[in-house]
Amino acid sequence: MNNQQQTGLFKFLISELKPKGKILTPFNVIAAITILVAAGILFIRFKNGLGSVIHASQETPWGLWINFNVITGVAFAGGAFVVTFMVYILGLEKYRPIVRPTVLYALLAYMFYAGALLLDLGRPWKVINPIIGNSFGISSVLFLVAWHFILYMGALFIEFSPTIAEWTGRIKIRKFLVSLTLGVVIFGIALSTLHQSGLGALFLMAKSKIHPLWYSEFIPILFFISSIFAGLSLVIIIETMSQRIFRNNMSFANKASHRKIVISLAKVCSITMFVYFSMLVLVFLHGKNQMYINTPWGYWYLVEVIGFVLIPCLMFLYSYRKLNLSIVRIAAVISIVGIVLNRLNISTFSFKWYENTIHFPSWMEIVVSAAVIFVQILVFRWIIRRMPVYNEAQVGLTEEKNNKSIRVYTKSEEKWKILVE
Amino acid sequence: MENFSRIDFFDTKGIEYLFVIGYLLILIFYWKVSNKEVKFAGQIQKVISNLSASLLRIPQGLFYNPNHAWTHLDESGTAKVGMDDFLQHVVGEIKFANLKNPGETIKKGDLLTEIVQNGKRLQVFSPISGKIINTNVILSKNPELVNEDPYGKGWIYQIKPANWMAETSSCYLADEATHWTTRELERFKDFLTGWSMRKSSTEPSMVLLQDGGELRDNILSELPDDVWKDFQNQFLNSALTEG
Amino acid sequence: MGNDRRNFLKTAGIVGLTLTVGKSFGATKTKKNSVEFDGILYDSTLCVGCQSCENACAEQYGLPLPEDTPDPEVVRKTDEKRLVVVNSFNTSKGEQYMRSACNHCNNPACASACLTKAMLKTDEGPVIWREEKCMGCRSCMISCPFDIPKFEYNSPNPKIQKCRMCYELIHEGGKPVCVENCPAEALLFGKRRDLLEIARTRIYTEPEKYHHAIYGEHEVGGTGVIYLASVPFEELGLRTDLGTTSYPEFNKTFLYSVPAVLILWPALLLGLNNASKNRTGGNHE
Repeated sequence: MNNQQQTGLFKFLISELKPKGKILTPFNVIAAITILVAAGILFIRFKNGLGSVIHASQETPWGLWINFNVITGVAFAGGAFVVTFMVYILGLEKYRPIVRPTVLYALLAYMFYAGALLLDLGRPWKVINPIIGNSFGISSVLFLVAWHFILYMGALFIEFSPTIAEWTGRIKIRKFLVSLTLGVVIFGIALSTLHQSGLGALFLMAKSKIHPLWYSEFIPILFFISSIFAGLSLVIIIETMSQRIFRNNMSFANKASHRKIVISLAKVCSITMFVYFSMLVLVFLHGKNQMYINTPWGYWYLVEVIGFVLIPCLMFLYSYRKLNLSIVRIAAVISIVGIVLNRLNISTFSFKWYENTIHFPSWMEIVVSAAVIFVQILVFRWIIRRMPVYNEAQVGLTEEKNNKSIRVYTKSEEKWKILVE
Repeated sequence: MENFSRIDFFDTKGIEYLFVIGYLLILIFYWKVSNKEVKFAGQIQKVISNLSASLLRIPQGLFYNPNHAWTHLDESGTAKVGMDDFLQHVVGEIKFANLKNPGETIKKGDLLTEIVQNGKRLQVFSPISGKIINTNVILSKNPELVNEDPYGKGWIYQIKPANWMAETSSCYLADEATHWTTRELERFKDFLTGWSMRKSSTEPSMVLLQDGGELRDNILSELPDDVWKDFQNQFLNSALTEG
Repeated sequence: MGNDRRNFLKTAGIVGLTLTVGKSFGATKTKKNSVEFDGILYDSTLCVGCQSCENACAEQYGLPLPEDTPDPEVVRKTDEKRLVVVNSFNTSKGEQYMRSACNHCNNPACASACLTKAMLKTDEGPVIWREEKCMGCRSCMISCPFDIPKFEYNSPNPKIQKCRMCYELIHEGGKPVCVENCPAEALLFGKRRDLLEIARTRIYTEPEKYHHAIYGEHEVGGTGVIYLASVPFEELGLRTDLGTTSYPEFNKTFLYSVPAVLILWPALLLGLNNASKNRTGGNHE
């Protein structure tokens, strides 16, 4: 890279920071207000200690930022490892158009939710301790989860980096990064299996505190399976919204394949949820907790399992057979709510259930949680509008005479550009 | 003091194994239901793919006219018309122009609709005569429906046919339609080869046929207006010559 | 019977002597190599609820002195300003007292959950918290079956507070201040094994006085602080449903499977990738 190219790149990046599109939309205004209020709340949190902001107590130590943004939010980022598995390992090309947006969403999710975790730490500046090596608590599940988050973020970044290389026009680097893809995808899937189940394993030692209907030794496996359909359900919703919001940034291939992809995802979700439901029945039989069913907690458990797992499972099957996209989307929303319920039930609501007090988060926790999500969406939008995520450059190698060149078709400019190596 | 008792750490194993057997049986059934062929799903289409005969969807119960429009009569006596999979594959992303309104009458060979792409146009002509009962207005906002599902959600008009039997007798049906489509594909390849020889080889965008003679999908979208005009004459205007 | 009493007094005398002065006779620096854990024996039948232990602990660590007294209507709990509390209960044998503080488990859940090794089971036995390592994640609080670690929620530089068995004093050869200052001698400090023997002897020689169990002998895999009482332990607010497995065991299966997954998954995925390549005939980029 010569000097001119370097300054060119720098200027390019600066120019890209300018906002595209209207600034004063309702979404932007709400997001901005939430983020500003959250910034104020965080200032108070760091000045006066955690207790001034979150409703955690000595009995229930974890607040909404860990229980919702990390333990629930990370489940929804599970779309990345499922979709990359289907495309790169199984070779199911029909899902290719959603690989980039899903990997991007997961990358941002892990970055921001790991950030939310830092906010819920009593002394975030010490987070360097388990990383640099003088205090490795290896028998701790949280140690494993923390390390996996870091490694997986790296893996997702490498998976996403060809897009960045295309955006900045670095063809040689792009080729190198693409060659890493399969290895990094495999590593990412192994890591995902472990940390998705690891989030559940965090609660294994709280056996005496979580309600028996929700606690079992199988929590890690259940968390892993539920992360599969949680991620895919969110992918369905994201794709549905992107089709409308990011229409102008979308290639024809993306627009034309939407129906097919959503219907196929409905089938995958349906089968996964059926398996998950069967696992829940097995765990229920194994735990010999039948006597709890006939209690208020038991009824709530049935609502969660039947209303928010079994019913969307069957809805997915029905909508797949009838090719009905609306029902797919409704089922996706219901299953998303079900996952949130399940994760919050285990971590918050049924934690210390015998004390007979329901623990609700404070409004300040909710505002900060929402702000984290808003920031994530804003960054997502910034990237979509600039980088070839939804309108992948169709890269084809052609040999013309003795020159090897790469022809990149950029849809937004409706022409073929030749980039010579 | 705790009571001492024989501890059977897996005393639920009986019912668990019974459940597992039941689950496996239900799974077989569930899997079958999930994977049954769904209407018009056809074969898995590669998105960035080659266009080959095996990939084209040709539902057997439809009538195809030589201008690549299809028509189908349903039980209520109304006919749906649209454009076929071959045409949709070849052009790619299009917009609809000059869509007719319900109430208008249309004759066989009349303009059905115009499909437009970046200033290039093609005219699609009607296989039947009749009165238009319904227009698929979604196509004006979501024209890619015609690419995703040209025979289902991508229908263009619902028509009350005036002369169904006579007019569809000159259309292709079932096996005949399949053979005809294969021949059209070959004819299209020849058409493109002719054009690529005409243009100078220094224009990079004229690489039309890849190694092995396979066609790229949506190839007309990369070609200029004069190719479109010729395509119109050779493939979409044949009914006019028949009269 | 008389013989037995004499024998008991002899044993108790010798043990007591050894405990108090034996150190100066015996080996001095064997603590580092020893695997015998220190422990505390609390005998609820001797406790009179005077709160001397609470006062001594507060003075030692600069915490506020207790303002409330044991009351059968109120269950006092430890928090970030009180490391040990004594509660009173109305039981089937009248008013009895029970102390509550860190039990210094043999295999503590908190130390296993701590990802920075801030919570540490020392070689000598006490479970301590080390400030320079803690990042305030509060996993220890989630995992402790007794809910002992307490967090300074209202401080910008929060600490975890719990009884540390006066570890610095023990290191110098002393005793925990609560044990030193108990006027009723309800608290004994020594090697856990010896304390168990004393406890068993007490039960054996005065069977009507005691409930026939030692709390902490087997609970959660054994704890450093063990309890004797005159009534079943549930009547004194102790949880008896915690099981006898040490809590870190619950993580074993999961933690063991991590390296296995990291070996098996990549091989499996490469195989699948290969198989599907052959089917579709080409590389999926």
